[in-house]
Amino acid sequence: MDVIKGVLKEELQNSLQMKKDYKRELEKLPKGVLIKKIIRGHEYYYLIRREGGKVRFDYRGKPSSEEIKQYEEAKKLRKKYRQLLSQVNKQIKYLSGMLRDRKSV
Amino acid sequence: MTENQYKLCIEILSRFDKAGILKNIVLIGSWCIPFYKNYFGDTKYLQPLKTRDVDFLVPEPHKIIEKVDIPKLLKDLGFVIGFKGQQGYIKLEHPDLIVEFLVPEKGRGVERPVPLPMLGLNAQALRYLNFLTGSIITLAVEGMQIRLPHPVNFALHKLIIYQLRVNSEKAERDRETALRILEAVVEKGEKDLILQTLETIPGKWQKKILTGLQRLDHPLLEVLFKNYNKS
Repeated sequence: MDVIKGVLKEELQNSLQMKKDYKRELEKLPKGVLIKKIIRGHEYYYLIRREGGKVRFDYRGKPSSEEIKQYEEAKKLRKKYRQLLSQVNKQIKYLSGMLRDRKSV
Repeated sequence: MTENQYKLCIEILSRFDKAGILKNIVLIGSWCIPFYKNYFGDTKYLQPLKTRDVDFLVPEPHKIIEKVDIPKLLKDLGFVIGFKGQQGYIKLEHPDLIVEFLVPEKGRGVERPVPLPMLGLNAQALRYLNFLTGSIITLAVEGMQIRLPHPVNFALHKLIIYQLRVNSEKAERDRETALRILEAVVEKGEKDLILQTLETIPGKWQKKILTGLQRLDHPLLEVLFKNYNKS
């Protein structure tokens, strides 16, 4: 029984650490999403982001292909990290519950 | 083990294989346990408990000639860099698995991470890891050739380290794992291999293993121990 409890404790510590690390990585990603608008046949880019509960559109002109790629990658990673962070939160809830139950037995 | 964990582990191994580094590393730790099923085949094998930690041993870091940035290689899978302890050992975290790298400790040992510049991370140096690489088996898994310590070396190594553990729960887990694997080895008819392996290792390590065996109250190990003393 101690072995299982030990594993649960270890996994809970790992998940708590992981939560901090995913939050840190999300903070590091460039804020906002770059969108393309075509006006009179010309491509223009805007950076959309939330600021103080409001959605802001910032004109970015024609960013370099490298910058566009950077924002695309950030968008994919943000989605992935948020999904995984949600999974980590569920793990924390589950593991904490399991350890509480074992304590009360 | 969930199906997701297994799939993710296979994906990691597959990426390492394509990057050309799988041949330079050895899968150690509790994730050897599910793969040993391929070794034991039809033999009765009760799989011991394992965690999310997937540990890779780099026996000879200087032999890695291809530069592979592992954190970058696994980034799109959602792995993020985390740090273990105050020394800053790098681990790659994912809710399903945690990947870590280890190297054998040499000389007096080091209390800080060992840089692995060719792999873009660092590793923890631990004692007795050379024992694991003393006998390596290669198993075919999903079209790849995975290198693991022989189950005998894996189990005997656990018998050494369980005595060194500060955490009593981890020690109990190591002991339990060692027993289950040794039982499967005996069941497979390879009892002599355990004794042969014991004979080939340094006296200091032998002593540690025998002390570990003596402390265990298990009839099977008692028989092994007696046989060893007679020889």
